[in-house]
Amino acid sequence: MIALGVDVGSLFCKAVLLRGQEMASSGIRETTGNVAREISGFVDEVLASAGVSRSDLSILVSTGTGADLVEGAEFDEDDVACVAMATRHLLPEVGLAVDIGGQSISTVLSDPQGEVLDFMRNDKCASGSGRYLEVMSAALGVPVDRIDETVRKSRKKVSISSQCGVFAESEIVSHVNEGEEVPDILAGLCDSVASMVISQVMRFGGDEDYTVTGGVARIAGVTDMMAERLRGAYHPFPIDPMLGAAYGAALIGLLELEE
Amino acid sequence: MLFGGIDVGSLTAQAVIIQNGSIVASSSIKVKPNPLDSARTVLFTVLEQSGLEKGDLDFTVSTGYGREQVQKEGLSQANVSEISAHGKGAHWLLPSVRTVIDIGGQDAKVIRVSDTGDLDDFVMNDKCAAGTGRFLEVMARTLGVGLEELGPLSFQARNPIELSTRCSIYCETEVLHYLQRGAEKADIAASVNRTMAERVMALVRRVGVGKEVTMTGGVAKNVAVRKELERLLGMRMVEYSVDSQIVGALGAALVAREMGGGR
Repeated sequence: MIALGVDVGSLFCKAVLLRGQEMASSGIRETTGNVAREISGFVDEVLASAGVSRSDLSILVSTGTGADLVEGAEFDEDDVACVAMATRHLLPEVGLAVDIGGQSISTVLSDPQGEVLDFMRNDKCASGSGRYLEVMSAALGVPVDRIDETVRKSRKKVSISSQCGVFAESEIVSHVNEGEEVPDILAGLCDSVASMVISQVMRFGGDEDYTVTGGVARIAGVTDMMAERLRGAYHPFPIDPMLGAAYGAALIGLLELEE
Repeated sequence: MLFGGIDVGSLTAQAVIIQNGSIVASSSIKVKPNPLDSARTVLFTVLEQSGLEKGDLDFTVSTGYGREQVQKEGLSQANVSEISAHGKGAHWLLPSVRTVIDIGGQDAKVIRVSDTGDLDDFVMNDKCAAGTGRFLEVMARTLGVGLEELGPLSFQARNPIELSTRCSIYCETEVLHYLQRGAEKADIAASVNRTMAERVMALVRRVGVGKEVTMTGGVAKNVAVRKELERLLGMRMVEYSVDSQIVGALGAALVAREMGGGR
């Protein structure tokens, strides 16, 4: 059985192809203009890289904010459910997943079968989201994928007092103008993102072992700070954390076929 | 006797001089990186305008960013919060107004004033850019229009779009998507101004609406936001003859008059 999970987020489109329980291929693509057309081409590429054609697919499940833009999907599944399923499948002992995506932060509590028990989501405010980090790193002239190597050069943390992304951006610019070093500001920024995420996770007590998915999970500056401040143990997501929801969508597709 | 008021905001700074119960001079400048420089520059601009020297002022009060530093530096003899200053200024201009909506470049305040111009209650948002002048600034920049064009542009809208979020950063992304899809700037501007008014109204509801309402600060100059706000309030807001951005400095000058023992 071959299942494809496609997660259309606000900034990136992700896909995971499962052949049985095996990840046959995956892909990540930035979404820009004509999303519907982009997705179609992207799906074809992910299929082609595993030598699979559309007719070979047993099922396609979509998720994410743009789930309805995916052609040929059997159904769309909430991304919270997908993240829970992927977490319990890859990390059976971990009940809490923190998903930090482009435009949302969600904390999901699941049972051992991967069913959602409870969750919290903030998609109203950019604070702490992937978009927030993009704006800040652009203001500092550091590409998002080079945040960690830059933070490693820091000697102190310049604390960021604004929570609002718009105000934080001005604050960062004034720190630069005052002569603070970019690595030190970035270190402070990672701290501030972690604090915003932690304040949501703490609503679940902070004692549960957890994993982190979504693009921001790739940034050790943020996950290290979370690990320092949360009592539950941090279990790094075993595959690229950006693929979490897409992986879960494919798993849910497989389950659907079994039933 | 001559009394001075200095108000340093996030984007602009103002100074006002009053004498015998009327405004003799006022000035507004763009802020300098340092609030002290802004205060000094705007004070000397207004003095020069009126052919006066600093020593001619009997008492001066500062308000806004760095109002304490401004006093320490000797540019003023006392300082007052922006909230009190706006309440005083608005009450002096319009004695029957009980609710003052002051939207500045970086914060939003709704102030309830008593019949004597004193502060009854207030709410303030300086944590989130939504509902402040910064939101409009970000949106104008994203649309590629001047801040002052944003209001009038609204009135050319034929099919206003609907912004799905309040967050300035998410709105920016959403507006970019609309522009890429060929949406009209006017249709987007209308939605931006409406979203702005809705955020302000949420703040107004928290202190309640008095029998007469007026608006101060830079955003009061945006005609579309005013109109949307009036629709939400279900009443017209009271207008006045001076620049909406000098009301804080005017209020500071009025406090200077009280403290300086003048009339």
